[in-house]
Amino acid sequence: MKKKLVSLLMVATMAASMVACGQTATEAPATEAPAADAAATEAPAAETPAAEEGKVFNIYAWNEEYKGFFEKYYADKIPADVEVKWTIVPSDNGAYQEALDNALLNQENAAADEKVDMFLAEADYILKYTNSDFTQDITALGVTDFSNTYAYTVEAASDVAGTVKGVSFQCCPSALIYRRSIAKEVLGTDDPTEVQAALSSWDKFDAVAADAKAKGYLMTPSYAETYRVFSNNVSQPWISDANELQFDANINTWMDQAEKYVKEGYTLTEGIWDAGKNAEMGKDGKALCFFGPAWYFNFCMGPAHDEAMGDWAICEGPQAHFWGGTWLLAPTGTDNPTILADCMNTFINDEAVCENLIRNEAQFTNNQAVNAKVASDPEYASEFLGGQNDVAIFAELAKNIKFQNVTLYDQYCNEGLQTYFVEYLKGSVDSRDKALANFYTYIGEKVPGIVTPQ
Amino acid sequence: MKNKKSVSYSKWGYIFIIPFFVVYIIFNLYPQILTVYNSFFENYRQGLTQVGPNFVGFSNYVALLTPSSEGTIDILRYLGNTMIMWVMGAVPQFLIALILALIFTSSRLNIKGQGVYKSIIYMPNMIMAAAFSMLFFTMFSTVGPVNQVLESMGILDKPIDFISFTLPARSLVAFMNFLMWFGNTTIMLVAGIQGIDESLFEAAKIDGANSWNVFSRITLPLLRPILVYVAITSLIGGLRMFDVPQVLSKGVGMPDRTTFTVVMLLNNYLGTSKNYGMAGAVSVLLFIVTAILSTFVFKFINKKEEK
Repeated sequence: MKKKLVSLLMVATMAASMVACGQTATEAPATEAPAADAAATEAPAAETPAAEEGKVFNIYAWNEEYKGFFEKYYADKIPADVEVKWTIVPSDNGAYQEALDNALLNQENAAADEKVDMFLAEADYILKYTNSDFTQDITALGVTDFSNTYAYTVEAASDVAGTVKGVSFQCCPSALIYRRSIAKEVLGTDDPTEVQAALSSWDKFDAVAADAKAKGYLMTPSYAETYRVFSNNVSQPWISDANELQFDANINTWMDQAEKYVKEGYTLTEGIWDAGKNAEMGKDGKALCFFGPAWYFNFCMGPAHDEAMGDWAICEGPQAHFWGGTWLLAPTGTDNPTILADCMNTFINDEAVCENLIRNEAQFTNNQAVNAKVASDPEYASEFLGGQNDVAIFAELAKNIKFQNVTLYDQYCNEGLQTYFVEYLKGSVDSRDKALANFYTYIGEKVPGIVTPQ
Repeated sequence: MKNKKSVSYSKWGYIFIIPFFVVYIIFNLYPQILTVYNSFFENYRQGLTQVGPNFVGFSNYVALLTPSSEGTIDILRYLGNTMIMWVMGAVPQFLIALILALIFTSSRLNIKGQGVYKSIIYMPNMIMAAAFSMLFFTMFSTVGPVNQVLESMGILDKPIDFISFTLPARSLVAFMNFLMWFGNTTIMLVAGIQGIDESLFEAAKIDGANSWNVFSRITLPLLRPILVYVAITSLIGGLRMFDVPQVLSKGVGMPDRTTFTVVMLLNNYLGTSKNYGMAGAVSVLLFIVTAILSTFVFKFINKKEEK
């Protein structure tokens, strides 16, 4: 009896561990049928699209950010009998792209209710989808008014021939986010104009970094904090037409800066998403400068919101740049073209929705008219930024954004370089060449047929 | 008439093992052959564009086994990493499991409530490996509890980034594998020891054999078949090491790719670009290495019996 129990336990535990193994091997995509359909069924159908359209609206995304906006500002416009189905796969290590690729490659054979009807993509890899037959011309679907959107967002969503395949609901100029209390200590002021004057070039930035260090502060919380500022202003793409990996001078400058800053103690060897960096946003944080767009300081600076609310402000910083941004793309073969087009139009042209996105969701929208309206509203102030009107600053910065020198594999190049270069900064590898050699090996595995400098 | 009544049951034996072979052929043998076949092709995706499959002979293998400019063959390096981390975990795993198994089966100690102990030492295996690894990653990060405790005790004046050094990183992987598998090995060995005829132990006791003699002359030799089984399954599991180092090193095998395993390489080839050719070649090489090492372990442990 006892032996039987033991063997039963063994079988059960082994089976459990096998199931567990199966799940860990591939990060299981979480398919969710969200509360959206509940909202959809409650609300009266505002407009009914052609009857023959699909009953399931499938959306692919890598996090919950857009899902929140969609449910709040659009879900009630969807006909009651259409169910919205989200497939959310985290983007780490390219997992989202892999899941999405598989779904798109299977699009033709998928049952109507399984077809991808809309998917989200980031600047780092949007090219892969726009320059393929897996996305379609949205002007043909009825999204034609781009008069208020920022030109770069349309450019980014277009293929080489200029056909527009999607829209972005946000515009992502990135700013220098500084901590007011530390700026007062280091620079003697927390006024955005004066701080900008003190940090308007990299030479000035270096000088302030030395000051901050002398006063016991950090200039930045991560060796990679300034990475996007440099990588966004490159004059050649990561991968040449001959499929060779190439380093822009700006990337080399960033590596020099990161090395110097770590050596001098101006920054930490924490990655941009590491817990050690996030700790610098809290009440005991020592870091003066962060870099990021509206989505960054509103959604990715949790400890700052919890423990240092209002102790922040933004200015342009040494160089204009943008970071990220989420595009809604139209897959070929969708069976819900009417909802798709209507949704896209809503997020770029519906002024009420766009204004809500700014005022309630702290977004900087892709509608210039709405942005300008809020920018000039003396009542509008961001609580997080100590009463500063961030929209006014972003509206200025947005004018300088160019979408250029991007490749299919930018996510791997940008993330891979940061990951392997920091090993040199930490002393895990003894030379910069060794760190770069590891980076080349990694890219060689991820990108078939690429020629690396090695 | 009576003779006809005797029925041959032997065919039922064959019928009952058919399902195994059917499942084996469909889900094991066929994919295995397919893997070998794929390894001779150039077959991957560039973005969303499919390249190949084009027959390229052995060039995938050549690419894998060509030394880099520094003179190292990457896949051998990763194989070395895998083996080192396996040995670091497996040696303590066997020793502790053997000691525990002896304690549990000792008639002199006659431990009560064994089921409870066995369940507890088996527990770590029931946690998903990735979750377990994530837990250790968090515990040993620069802002994690381990550093906090060491700092508050005054042992460290600033946090150590454990995972950025080779030895601690590999030790963590080995320790996790040890923790997850020693319970399993213990239970196997307990079953093995309980399978040994009790009269042998009694006879030895009557003859005045001490504990060491009983262990080395009776328990160990008769336990050999189970030991072979446990060693080989552990070796195969070790060579396929993936989730623990993958999660602990965020998929990049830090530091300096010293926790990068062969299956992580496979994962890098398959992940983004669906590079079936290169991934196939890696699998075939891993299969050959596994076969050679398993034969070696089998021969090595069984050798003494021949005398």
